[in-house]
Amino acid sequence: MSQTENVLEIRDLVKDFPAVRAVNHVSFDIKRNTIHCLVGENGAGKSTLIKILTGATPRSSGKIVLNGREFTPHSPKEAKQKGISTLFQELNVVDQLTVAENLTLGMEDTRFGFLRRTDKIAAMVDVMNSLEPSIHPKMLVSSLSVARKQIVEIAKAVASESDIIIMDEPTAAISEGEIARLFKIVKALREKNVTVIYISHRLDEIFELGDFVTVMRDGRHIDTKPVSEIRDRSELIHMMIGKTVFEQYTPKQEACKDPILRVRNLSNHKLHDISFDVHEGEIVGFYGLVGAGKTELARAIYGADAHEGEITFKDRRLPASPDKAIEAGIALVPEERRSQGLFTILTIRGNVPVMNMKKISRGGFVNASQERAVTQQYIDKLRIATSSTEKEASKLSGGNQQKVVFSKCLFADADLLMLDEPTRGIDVGAKSEIYGIVRRLSEEGKSIMIFSSELHEIMNICDTIYLLFDGHLKSSLRNGCDIDNEKILHIVTGGEVTGGDLTGAETT
Amino acid sequence: MSADVPSARKTFAAGMSNESFLTVFMIGVLVVLFAVACLFVPNFYLLQNIINLFANYWFVIILGIGVTFLLITGNFDMSVGGVVAMTGVLAVYFCQGYNVSQNALANGLGLPYGAAVALALVGALGIGAINAFFIARLRVPSIIVTLGTMMIARGIAQVVTRGAQRNTSLPDVFGVVGNTFIPGTSIKVAVLIMIVLVAAAFLVEKKTVAGRRTYLIGANAVAARLSGVKVGRHLALLYMVSALLAGITGILLASEFKAGLSGRATGYEFDALVIALLGGVSIAGGFGSVLGMFVGAIILAVVTSSATGLLLSPDWQFTLKGIVTFLAILAQRFALDKRKG
Repeated sequence: MSQTENVLEIRDLVKDFPAVRAVNHVSFDIKRNTIHCLVGENGAGKSTLIKILTGATPRSSGKIVLNGREFTPHSPKEAKQKGISTLFQELNVVDQLTVAENLTLGMEDTRFGFLRRTDKIAAMVDVMNSLEPSIHPKMLVSSLSVARKQIVEIAKAVASESDIIIMDEPTAAISEGEIARLFKIVKALREKNVTVIYISHRLDEIFELGDFVTVMRDGRHIDTKPVSEIRDRSELIHMMIGKTVFEQYTPKQEACKDPILRVRNLSNHKLHDISFDVHEGEIVGFYGLVGAGKTELARAIYGADAHEGEITFKDRRLPASPDKAIEAGIALVPEERRSQGLFTILTIRGNVPVMNMKKISRGGFVNASQERAVTQQYIDKLRIATSSTEKEASKLSGGNQQKVVFSKCLFADADLLMLDEPTRGIDVGAKSEIYGIVRRLSEEGKSIMIFSSELHEIMNICDTIYLLFDGHLKSSLRNGCDIDNEKILHIVTGGEVTGGDLTGAETT
Repeated sequence: MSADVPSARKTFAAGMSNESFLTVFMIGVLVVLFAVACLFVPNFYLLQNIINLFANYWFVIILGIGVTFLLITGNFDMSVGGVVAMTGVLAVYFCQGYNVSQNALANGLGLPYGAAVALALVGALGIGAINAFFIARLRVPSIIVTLGTMMIARGIAQVVTRGAQRNTSLPDVFGVVGNTFIPGTSIKVAVLIMIVLVAAAFLVEKKTVAGRRTYLIGANAVAARLSGVKVGRHLALLYMVSALLAGITGILLASEFKAGLSGRATGYEFDALVIALLGGVSIAGGFGSVLGMFVGAIILAVVTSSATGLLLSPDWQFTLKGIVTFLAILAQRFALDKRKG
């Protein structure tokens, strides 16, 4: 293997799609055995660039040099053979097979079509052990957490002698504890002669992990520099969007309003005896790590999952089914945008009005012009970037898809909006727009519940913050006074609660 | 860049939804097939022959309506053929004279015609209710449930006819509806009923909230539920409607032949499925239209009748249908991919 200083050189790379130039004359180098971060808003061209590198899509023009040789992959398989592996968000492991079988999948030694036991398996298992000794090769992959499945994939890439591993938002679906372990492994990869291209929306990770960072915006390369030369988050954000959007929570004038939602002793397979109130116009945040029960809490209130306990909404007992909840005035923006919130194969017009068809129909017949008008209204109101109401939802970027899901819920005329991870996987610009919408709704007197595993987000906009750990409501805090990050992290990671923290929820 | 100055053709195609595009495409295929048939088959272009293309397929098209709606939700209904046979046989059995003959197959319940038909339709709805219960309530995969009810329905038809048919001691009124023609034409009333049903289905699909729900469920059943759609109830309704349409078809066919045959409509569930797929309905759900299904039916009619016109042995019909289905669906995939690329 030639040991050039740059493992990858990208020169004047261009990719045109029918209506748009997704990658616009991009040139930069990636140094060998470094962790090279790639950041930019959604639609900045990161994904397209990655697709070209992995052979998933051809370039329009330009040059890529891998290990000093020109590199033109025609398929992901070819890219992999030449040394570029990718860890996608949707993992490429087979749940029904063991760890060892997964490691050798597609590279099995065979004789006359029958599998053979060879040293290859042992070699691969060794690589995995050196990364994470606690994963046993005989374990079924289905029994592993998402984070551990990622480690299996990383081990597979390392064992197949990849020079570059591309990681696309690897921390999006794993908990904080697991993130620390993943980071340790990623850092260790440098010694195994592997270069990592790391993509994430969580900017703190860039500072913790990265050696170099490349910023892209609108398909263009903005800058590549050592992370150590970047002052702070806001400088990075500034490079990404060209303007500063960092906002800080300003405490609201507290007016004692009536509770709109009362939850008492809510329990189910995941939740334990949860009680709290939500008041009119209040923004309530639920913070906890992955697996703390945030999604389960949202779904139980919404009636999507079975539960025990009492939920009163506007002084009436809330029946347990989503359609009844919507009728009563509750709307949910679900955790998984594409699989639970959006009808991706339908148009924007097919999505926006679905939670309140009564409003645009008469005697069961849809008023088509009203339907279009309403859709256009929300496109304008939430500034959804689209050429028409008839665009397929799958063709929108993540942030715009989330705005469509928001439109659905806003059109339902709900008095209480439940937002489950409302900004997951969307870019900084769209995030701040969504926070703006939430604040505006609260000023209009709507109540909002935000379920999030991003503390930053909770601290930014919530008036009241509840901390969840393992299905228990651990603590309640008022934002703006005595907020202590360390203490919060202590509680949500299972630490003991000291003092009478549960002040907000007077359990009855 | 080409995107700045799109050609006229491009804007025309781009302005259409995928669904309209496919329907137009399949109409194009139909026109080409028809032209080819006219070249090779004598008298194929005659008006009477064109009418026959519709007239001889009315039953599959009626079945296709229910099958199409369910397919759009991502579910199958393989029970429709069995329900046609069962309803026809039951209607005959209910209507036949009571204790009028030594021959068991000539004796029925002696009910008045109207009551016999109504009861037979209740039987059809019963099959629909079984489908609805297992699929919408217990969430058993629809292909399993409806294959089961397909056999149950046909089984009932066989038991009632002892594996043969019932055709004696029926009042004259039984044969009226199936043998009445639209005045001044040779078109059966059944064809008119089919056209009315297709038009009504088209309206429901395009203009109503129920139509929208059908697509929402097929596009994403989880999101539909979280968006307040009563998924189970809507599926149950569609299975009941599909069974009712099959029941009506069964009554009409039994009336036309004045007989209840246990083997009636064998394989029609597959024909109904094939014409829906030919019409561009997605087997994965969320996509397709009744109009497309109608075009699909005519395509199949053109192919089979031109084959008959070319004196191709009837033994070849199945093979031919298979080949046409393959080609048409390949053409669709090709056209859609081209459009996207």
